[in-house]
Amino acid sequence: MKQIALYGKGGIGKSTTSANLSAALSEKNLSIMQIGCDPKHDSTRMLMGGRWIPTVLDTIRDNGEEINADEIVFAGYNNIRCVEAGGPEPGVGCAGRGIIATFQLLEKLDALYGDVIVYDVLGDVVCGGFAMPMREGYAREVYLVTSGDFMALYAANNISKAIARLSNRTRNFCSLGGVICNSQNIEGELELVSEFAQKINSQLIGFIPRSQIVRVAEVNKKTVLEYAPESEQAGIYRTIADRIMHNSPDVAKKPTPLTMDELEELAQKHIKA
Amino acid sequence: MNSKNSHKNISRLEGCTVIGALTVTSFVTDAATIVHGPAGCAHQSASMIQSAMLYNECFNIPEIFTSDMSEEEIIFGGEERLKETIRETVAGGRYRAVFVIGTCISDTIGDDIEIVCKNASAEYNIPIIPIDASGFLGGSFEKGFISAIRGITELIPPRSTEAEAQVTPAKPEPKTVNIIAEKNLEYEVDSNFAEIKRLLSLLGAEINTRIARRTTVAEIARFKNAALNIIRDDPTGAISAHIKSVSDIPVIGAFPTGLSGTVEFLKDAGRLMNLDEAVIDAAVSSELKNQEEMLKRFADLKGKKVSFDLFGFQKSDSAFLDEIAERAGLKIDIDGPAIMIPFYTPIGTAGVKQMLVQWRRFINGRR
Repeated sequence: MKQIALYGKGGIGKSTTSANLSAALSEKNLSIMQIGCDPKHDSTRMLMGGRWIPTVLDTIRDNGEEINADEIVFAGYNNIRCVEAGGPEPGVGCAGRGIIATFQLLEKLDALYGDVIVYDVLGDVVCGGFAMPMREGYAREVYLVTSGDFMALYAANNISKAIARLSNRTRNFCSLGGVICNSQNIEGELELVSEFAQKINSQLIGFIPRSQIVRVAEVNKKTVLEYAPESEQAGIYRTIADRIMHNSPDVAKKPTPLTMDELEELAQKHIKA
Repeated sequence: MNSKNSHKNISRLEGCTVIGALTVTSFVTDAATIVHGPAGCAHQSASMIQSAMLYNECFNIPEIFTSDMSEEEIIFGGEERLKETIRETVAGGRYRAVFVIGTCISDTIGDDIEIVCKNASAEYNIPIIPIDASGFLGGSFEKGFISAIRGITELIPPRSTEAEAQVTPAKPEPKTVNIIAEKNLEYEVDSNFAEIKRLLSLLGAEINTRIARRTTVAEIARFKNAALNIIRDDPTGAISAHIKSVSDIPVIGAFPTGLSGTVEFLKDAGRLMNLDEAVIDAAVSSELKNQEEMLKRFADLKGKKVSFDLFGFQKSDSAFLDEIAERAGLKIDIDGPAIMIPFYTPIGTAGVKQMLVQWRRFINGRR
């Protein structure tokens, strides 16, 4: 079982990338599970044909802990098993604790299985709860989704710090799998993100060019793989899915996050007027 | 990040903010207190208070409730659960006010207790008062205690309001006194109060209200009838500052200690109540006579040696001990039996008398 997590700045395209990668992986005759770990609960929508599935936390709230796996795990495109953790309304409660509770329940229901589990995690690792997928042996490989935008790189660098910190634990299962560039059509973006990946002791796993077909598929409530399986963009997701399947990062290889000065210097080198 | 900058091991001695707050609010007899947190927060605090009360021979069970927060409230926010608990608490119509004490976890997840209380007050038409008590922000028993004193004074009608006009006379009763911030878990709480009451009676003054020691909500509302406020103890000045902010009644910041301290207290109290000098003089000479009579009962101690064991933390304000020794005819000598000084300094002449009884045991026990 391969367990991967996608982390990155809010709005960078983690959910779109996760859903398309899950869809691409499902074509390989693999059993795929995607877990949205964000109170916004919009991770699996494209896989569910636009349906907002009930979240784990809402279900616990309504029914107590006496629930069955089929009340929280839903079969989507190509039988991808979709879960949304959910969470409180914005501005109340503690969403981080919600993620922990979700994992405990999925664990209790023996629902965490499949050839690949994809964890799609909220933008910033703001507290211990959102680091949960990286801990306790859930996600073994973290993929940082970023663009050449400076703040996106800054967020990715911060997440690599969280992984580096976890690497120091005696029982650590989590490693940095690589960097995925979700392009924003910035000049010098490929070079910038490649060099960033290398500098944090990792590698660029894929470069997803900006494409109108992604937006079109989205408004049609489908992944690109489902909406336009023959498109070039679908091929790109398939290639990245392949690379992830063949990637087996070394747990002992720790990320080397950049200092703020180093990050600024790197951005200045590639982004010019 | 917060005010807590000391991580010394002594922190564990500073107690829990919630218990500090409960020692005040649970002594308002017709009010309930809700501890907004997991049930354990309320249980732990309530059982400590109850066992201390039993030791002090108070057998009533304090009116303490819990909102019983569970993981669901932590994740989704506990405000709804708190609203529900308030509803259940006020439902029987038994209480005239409700205090809501926040805890570490309700503050961590950012429950807005203040707004819940404000809305509930309007809905049920009784005062529902939030009290800040999240210990992890650098709280201690003392901080919770002071927070609760602040909270309880919200039952006093604010200045220049219709409510104030209803319960407060235009001029305060000339010879009445409020007693503020008694330490309800202190073993001597009742005997200390009796002594203050006796001293005030020498001036012809009476007690108006006690904040709070078996006090009702209506009694607290009549706070401003008094001509003088006397605080049990206020080393940081926080309680005096607050009390001065709610009314113009003059304040004495502590119960009196020592022989001359007790006489000074009588003079201060009399002057702050604007009593005639003749009345004050009569009270003072009566008390001086009382002190002489009291000391006569310890004539057997004359000429004996004593030394004081201050445990190193009683600082320099032990001058009153030297005075008591001198007046009782004792000699302070390093070779004399070491007398342990009580943690709370004894109050008034009665406190001195009690202390001399203990000293006698130490001195005679040595023979």
